[in-house]
Amino acid sequence: MEGIRSASVLLLDGITKIYPGTVALEDVRFEAFPGEVHGLIGKNGAGKSTLVGILSGLIEPTAGSITLNGHSFHSLRRSLAKKLGVAIVPQEPEIVLDLPVAENLFLGELENSGGFVAWKRIRRDARNILGRFGLDISIDLMARDLSLSERQLLLILKACVVEDANVVVLDESSASLSSKDGIILRRIVEDLKSSGKAVIYISHHIDELLEVCDRLTVLRDGRVVETRSRELFDHHTLSELIVGESLVSSVSHKPDTPPPGERLLEVDALARWGLFEGISFSLRRGEILGIAGLRGSGRTEILKALSGIEPADAGSISLKGKALFFRSPSEALREGVAYLPEDRESEGLVKVFSIGDNLLLNSISKFSNRGFVSWADARRRASEVFSDVQIHAFSMEQNVDELSGGNKQKVVIGRIMTKEPDIYLLDEPTRGVDVGAKHSILSIVNGPLRAGAGVILTSPGLDDLLDICDRIMVLYRGMFVREYSREEFDEKNIFMDMQGFGFQKQRGGGVCRAV
Amino acid sequence: MSGGLRFKLALLDNIIWLMLLLFFGVCAIGVPAFASWNNIVNILYHTTIMSMLVLAQGFVLLSGNLDLSIDAVLAFAPGVVILASTKWFPGMLGNPYLAIFLTLLAGGLLGFFNGFCVSRLGMNAFMQTLSLSIILRGLVLFLIPLSIFPLHPVYSFIGKARLASLGNIPAAIPVTFCIYLLFHILLKYTVFGRNYLATGGNARASYVAGIDTRRMIIAGFVIAGILSAVAGMLTAGRQDSVSNTMGSGMTLLAFAGALLGGTAMGGGKGSAFGMLGGAILLGMFSNALNLLGVKVTLIHAAQGALIFLAILVDRFRVSLRARLLRNEQLQKLHHTKG
Repeated sequence: MEGIRSASVLLLDGITKIYPGTVALEDVRFEAFPGEVHGLIGKNGAGKSTLVGILSGLIEPTAGSITLNGHSFHSLRRSLAKKLGVAIVPQEPEIVLDLPVAENLFLGELENSGGFVAWKRIRRDARNILGRFGLDISIDLMARDLSLSERQLLLILKACVVEDANVVVLDESSASLSSKDGIILRRIVEDLKSSGKAVIYISHHIDELLEVCDRLTVLRDGRVVETRSRELFDHHTLSELIVGESLVSSVSHKPDTPPPGERLLEVDALARWGLFEGISFSLRRGEILGIAGLRGSGRTEILKALSGIEPADAGSISLKGKALFFRSPSEALREGVAYLPEDRESEGLVKVFSIGDNLLLNSISKFSNRGFVSWADARRRASEVFSDVQIHAFSMEQNVDELSGGNKQKVVIGRIMTKEPDIYLLDEPTRGVDVGAKHSILSIVNGPLRAGAGVILTSPGLDDLLDICDRIMVLYRGMFVREYSREEFDEKNIFMDMQGFGFQKQRGGGVCRAV
Repeated sequence: MSGGLRFKLALLDNIIWLMLLLFFGVCAIGVPAFASWNNIVNILYHTTIMSMLVLAQGFVLLSGNLDLSIDAVLAFAPGVVILASTKWFPGMLGNPYLAIFLTLLAGGLLGFFNGFCVSRLGMNAFMQTLSLSIILRGLVLFLIPLSIFPLHPVYSFIGKARLASLGNIPAAIPVTFCIYLLFHILLKYTVFGRNYLATGGNARASYVAGIDTRRMIIAGFVIAGILSAVAGMLTAGRQDSVSNTMGSGMTLLAFAGALLGGTAMGGGKGSAFGMLGGAILLGMFSNALNLLGVKVTLIHAAQGALIFLAILVDRFRVSLRARLLRNEQLQKLHHTKG
């Protein structure tokens, strides 16, 4: 089949990337042809981002070669990759908020005539591009006034049309698009295809990939499991390839866990319009409830609503039989609900503080008498927690910014532990930490955290949840799909539910999807 | 952590006092009449007003904001109160104790206005306090075209009086030290102080951790306003009058003092005693140049150079600190291996 095609525009061969402690990619071969949409799918941590990083010049591979338009390289720099025609749309829209649409579109590519910006031409081109794909926004609007979805679309247009690249990487670009903008994305991809560009399309949604792509590559644990053309896949085989050996509740924790205690939390029909609705569940003391769902499923938003950071619009929350509604994190904390933020750098840590001061951030008032801090008590508690969560630092006085990612995360966990709340809301506590740190964080959650409280846990991958949760609640696009108890745990079924298959079956397929 | 390292880190964190000591030593040798008791008292006395402004600015900096209106509040708060108590309602507001209270209240209210605009209305601190500064300075020029004097001795006490029981030193000096001690305790030993510092270090993380960060920011501005009003009373007391030029141009030097004292521009880091050291160093510096017969305008330029030096020293301090900690880590590694 490859004989019929023209030569590949991109070839990664024997690519290996080793990080200290982990092998992110191992002997990967990946090829893209002109005029094809090549889908890339795999679980979190399968190596998608690393692969994309390598081919766009952001990450240097440990071994292997990259061939672009016939030129071979051991590694690329971003500037070189760009010159050779590789454009990438990153997951998080990075846009200059206070520049108008037209200028954002041509940022870094501003045409000039005689030293002056050729505004006339740029405005005309911008208007044409937006018009061609049916994007109905004014070119003079500030990027700040656009919706998140429109900003993302703007970046897609910039990479796909303005930069005129041969290879365009769309890294989960559809995840933050509205259904209307999803259609526009399709149009853009079709256009790229017909003009002979190669598109590398990353998504967690199987449906979408099967619809958009010509070929699909499945990555698992840093290896290419399969590369085939679309017709040779269906939902089921693809899910199986992605998940691999189905993990049925590994019993890493079960035997010595005491039975759950009294009912702590009761959530009924919780909703925040546009993000999630009709969410009901309960939580007992000593129990770990996992929330599984893809990006945009509402898992983070539910935790933020429970903790008062972004309060819900409807529904009721009752804590130990008392109906409560939190409007701010300080109210939630007073009632014993502590939230571990998903973004530890910006929401979790005070970088200029020492480890000890960070550990006491939530709970300094607990160690005080009429407003005065009793440092002896506070330090004692902090050093207890410091050793409980096994932070690798030589002293509590050390500045928190000098720690590794995993240890920083332990500090944030330790910080909410110091407060001794009734309920822990843990938003992706294992994101971006190495395997060792991940293991010890999970055993802290499974040990000291669950011992005296109820825990709600989200995670980028299912493994964590399967490992330590008692129950897993699956969400799909802001709606409840199914709850699994530990005996029913099955990675493949849960994965299919996260994709929304179970949901469609249950409700007769009446879901309106974004793409 | 070894004792030696702890000592070194403590030295680095208090580098301002080291600089102060060094500077004092050099001047004691090189500048005639510098190290005399009278001159030291003189330096401290002349530093008191600036010390209050440094503390005001430094305190706001700790919360991650800044306040350009402190020198205007310095003039406005005592100015308008004295005007009211002598010209507008001499009968009703004649009581000097009431006047002191009203001066502090005025400072606090102006600070509250700043804080409210910044934290509730989301205004940029730079622009909001700049606008208030211009408004207040303009009002002072309009309301007090000519100095008003003399002041009631109770009102001018903290700026002017000398304490016979304490070797005849000006009352302003112990008042300043007491206020600094108070702020040292506030920042180090109270829940409010710790939450305040955390807010400056990372407002978002503090909010998520359950701290009422908006209240913290308002409190910072209120306190800066009150301290500026105290500085105003010190100034008015010293010259035994209120005038429209009081404090003008001091705001930027107050930044310098706070920076010299190790306060981080980004917030979250700094100490009251550090700021005191910064303020005294500024005062000592201009005093020494004064004694050497350097022209006033040149002293100003030299103070600018001092600020540059402060920034340089701060960078040096940060990198040296990192190196010390790294060495300690390496040593520990060797120990566990060997």
